[in-house]
Amino acid sequence: MNPTRTERLTAYLILLLVTVLAILPLLMTFFTSMKGDEEFAAGAARLLPDAWHPSNYLRALQMAEWGLFFKNSILVTASAVIGSLVFNAMAGFAFARIRFKGGSVLFLLLLIGLMIPAQVTVIPQFLVLKSIPLFGGNDLFGHGGNGWLDSYYALIVPELSGAFGVFMARQFYLQMPRGLDEAAYIDGAGYARLFVLIYLPLSGPLMATLGIFKFVGVWNDFFHPLIYTNSPSMRTIQLGLQVFRGENQVQYNLLMAATLLVSVPILVMFLLFQKQFIRSAISSSVKG
Amino acid sequence: MNKGWNRIVPYLLIAPSMLLFLVFVLIPVIRIIYLSFTDYTMLQPPVWTGGANYMKLAHDPVFGRAVANTAWYWLGTVLPSMVIGLVLAALLTVRLKGLAAFRALIYLPGVLSSVAVAMTWLWLLDPLKGPVNRVLSLLGIAGKNWLQSPDTSLGSVIVIGVWTGMGFAMIVLLGGIQSIPDSLYEAAALDGASGISQFTRITLPLLQPILLFLFIVSTIRSFQVFDLVYILTGGGPANSSTTIVTQIVGASFQDYRMGYASAMAVVLLAATMAITLLQYKLGSRNTGME
Repeated sequence: MNPTRTERLTAYLILLLVTVLAILPLLMTFFTSMKGDEEFAAGAARLLPDAWHPSNYLRALQMAEWGLFFKNSILVTASAVIGSLVFNAMAGFAFARIRFKGGSVLFLLLLIGLMIPAQVTVIPQFLVLKSIPLFGGNDLFGHGGNGWLDSYYALIVPELSGAFGVFMARQFYLQMPRGLDEAAYIDGAGYARLFVLIYLPLSGPLMATLGIFKFVGVWNDFFHPLIYTNSPSMRTIQLGLQVFRGENQVQYNLLMAATLLVSVPILVMFLLFQKQFIRSAISSSVKG
Repeated sequence: MNKGWNRIVPYLLIAPSMLLFLVFVLIPVIRIIYLSFTDYTMLQPPVWTGGANYMKLAHDPVFGRAVANTAWYWLGTVLPSMVIGLVLAALLTVRLKGLAAFRALIYLPGVLSSVAVAMTWLWLLDPLKGPVNRVLSLLGIAGKNWLQSPDTSLGSVIVIGVWTGMGFAMIVLLGGIQSIPDSLYEAAALDGASGISQFTRITLPLLQPILLFLFIVSTIRSFQVFDLVYILTGGGPANSSTTIVTQIVGASFQDYRMGYASAMAVVLLAATMAITLLQYKLGSRNTGME
């Protein structure tokens, strides 16, 4: 469309207004995080701080076990991303490229999973995790202890499954040209070598989109850590932030500093991988 | 190459995904349907009680409140986000400078964690020190304890839901609009169609599958709202902002009424399935995502 000057101006004004509404709360969070305690207590209503106190961030970090929370979050997120990518790619490749007995039935079964919200399966998942045999004080039949609850397993293993990821991987591998496989067959390569040597190296775009999707999902997840863990040593940063708020109700400047610290990895990734964020936003909606 | 080995390779490739899917999705769904017909506190084995949980649910005023609140949240977030998203997406297709920046900044709240979003708004809406009440008092309007008053708690959560959701709607619709071929607009322009009539005659009709898709997806998401409510208001005060999922979590992991909570979860599952099937029925398979 080729807009007139007035149309162009109106469009800019509306966009500007919504942009301000979208980011003003975040800017205020940032400015508040920089305000000194006295200025904050005196209750000056100004947007910008009188004096900047970047040391707030260090203080906020020292007020809780943030090192531990970050370590937990990084460990859980990295394991979930890497593990789910490998499993998704394997299954997606098999469903897309190999004809095998039961393949289409199993894939159909998986598709049903796309309709099931995490909030529905959380109770039985909790029970499954609680009764993993021989873990967390459980006997061979999964009785007596806590199983995988309150451990890294509870936060990682359920995240490794994903009907959505397999579905996306299959779509991706379906689009590849048939000739790829034939060249490999002539060379006498089996499916396993075909996958590892030819398909996996071509999976960059798939991995980027699925990886971002998983990263955002697990890094930002509050629901599952809340329910599957309870000891302070298992806290991820999202849980840590929530607890930190309870312990430091009044000191909003420090709370806002902590909020931004927790968001930094997501913000950095967003700046670096905007395209993948947008693509995964659109495709993530399939999962609902 | 070993033929027998090659035959089992596909099963080995799908084994991890299928196993995890069975253990963490499919069997749990079957199990929760079973549990919804039982009394189960986790201390003793489940006791079959037939439809008793569902009967109790139908007469539980707090669950009724949760369903109504979820419906209000749905009404208050889905349509406004979609309308705002549509306007923004339409504006962003007009050739302007700085589009990428606008798009990124408007989407930004949508990538933050719900905890970070909740913390930000706890501060903004703080009754004593929060900027919202301060600005209001400058204008001579008495502020409120937005999150802790029964008449404003749900509304506040809804506004925050729109704030985080509008960028997502914009992104999805923008993708849809960009997939409409330019040639259609060029032909319309040759016929002398104005920008507005191009929008109503070309963009909107061709966008219909995406609009339906977005509507369904946002609807399902709104049914599942939990984090924001849990952190901002805890469902209170006096259940004024409680939702279906906060009720599920409260009944199961706080009160250990697993059977009763399972019945609530099955209601949520049924609603989600119904909406999803409706989408297929309305023929939106082709959402133009690829």
